[in-house]
Amino acid sequence: MTATGQTARPIPRAPAQSPSPSALSAAAAGRSPRWLSVVGLLGVIALGFTVWLGLWITPPDAVQGNLARLLYIHPPIATVALYWAGGVALVGSLLYLWPRTRSLFWDRLAASAVEVGAVFAALTLVTGSLWGRPAWGVWWTWDARLTSTALLLLLEIGYLALRRVPADPAVRARRCAVAAILVAIDVPIVHFSVDWWNTLHQGGTFLDPGFKLHAHGSMLWTFLLGFIAFSLIFVWLLGMRYRIEVLQDHVGDQELEVSLAERWDEGAGLAGAGAAVGVGVGTAPPPPSGSAP
Amino acid sequence: MRYVDAGYAAALGTLLVYAITLALRRRRWARAFKVAQADQLVDQPDADGTTARVVPGVRP
Repeated sequence: MTATGQTARPIPRAPAQSPSPSALSAAAAGRSPRWLSVVGLLGVIALGFTVWLGLWITPPDAVQGNLARLLYIHPPIATVALYWAGGVALVGSLLYLWPRTRSLFWDRLAASAVEVGAVFAALTLVTGSLWGRPAWGVWWTWDARLTSTALLLLLEIGYLALRRVPADPAVRARRCAVAAILVAIDVPIVHFSVDWWNTLHQGGTFLDPGFKLHAHGSMLWTFLLGFIAFSLIFVWLLGMRYRIEVLQDHVGDQELEVSLAERWDEGAGLAGAGAAVGVGVGTAPPPPSGSAP
Repeated sequence: MRYVDAGYAAALGTLLVYAITLALRRRRWARAFKVAQADQLVDQPDADGTTARVVPGVRP
């Protein structure tokens, strides 16, 4: 009997699940692992050195003058946006779609790469535009390289919008994997756009067979350091974004389980009340199958 | 130099803001995860596998 004078009626229940390993890993996901913090710290230090060298130490370019200082950050940012982010998104999506390697890990990794890649793609357009205004005389032109890069950003935004559409995790992962492949198809178009069309943008550089780097000394080292710095920053941001993705998924799962448990309690309470007053409701319904208690 | 300065400011500022946003989002979701876990623990049954239920309107 309770303090209010009402009967306490025990209702058999399925034993609640102990915290699953995935839940524990989600709890751990709230904290950054040491290696990720180290990568982030190294990235920030490298970026600081790049800025210091690029703005104060390197001499002005013989042709472009001080404007060449933007080239210490624009190509590295574009490299991350195109090849690193696009590559991770493509590989992650393909490995998710491949039945033998299907795991939500790949789906989350691809989603994280697309979001971070969208930030870098936007920065590519902004820094390129700031270089183009004094160099070309225009903020924007419908050049093949610029247009295909803008299309990449739009495709990534579309991917992120698609990901927010409520759906079963497996369904969402499959449709997002297909969308990520569509995003990745634009990467070679951006890369080869300067070869396939006559563009205002300069031609290919690093991957061209006859490429010869004309930068020397501090300019060369600043240029290379920029690539390392932005690549480290990308890995760091990717790791942080991935952990958010893990937490989001687990919170969604738990909210679903709590909702199911509440529904079960409501049903059990009604059945108990019906049995107690003799309205023939019958016994409490069996616990739902599955993980919900 | 103003274009160069603007380019560096845009790049560094955007990355800084994005990193802060990620940190805040992660903290928010970690808190939501803990709350969801606590909700699950509240709903766990007694040691004998039963949960006391009060049947309203029934007197002993």
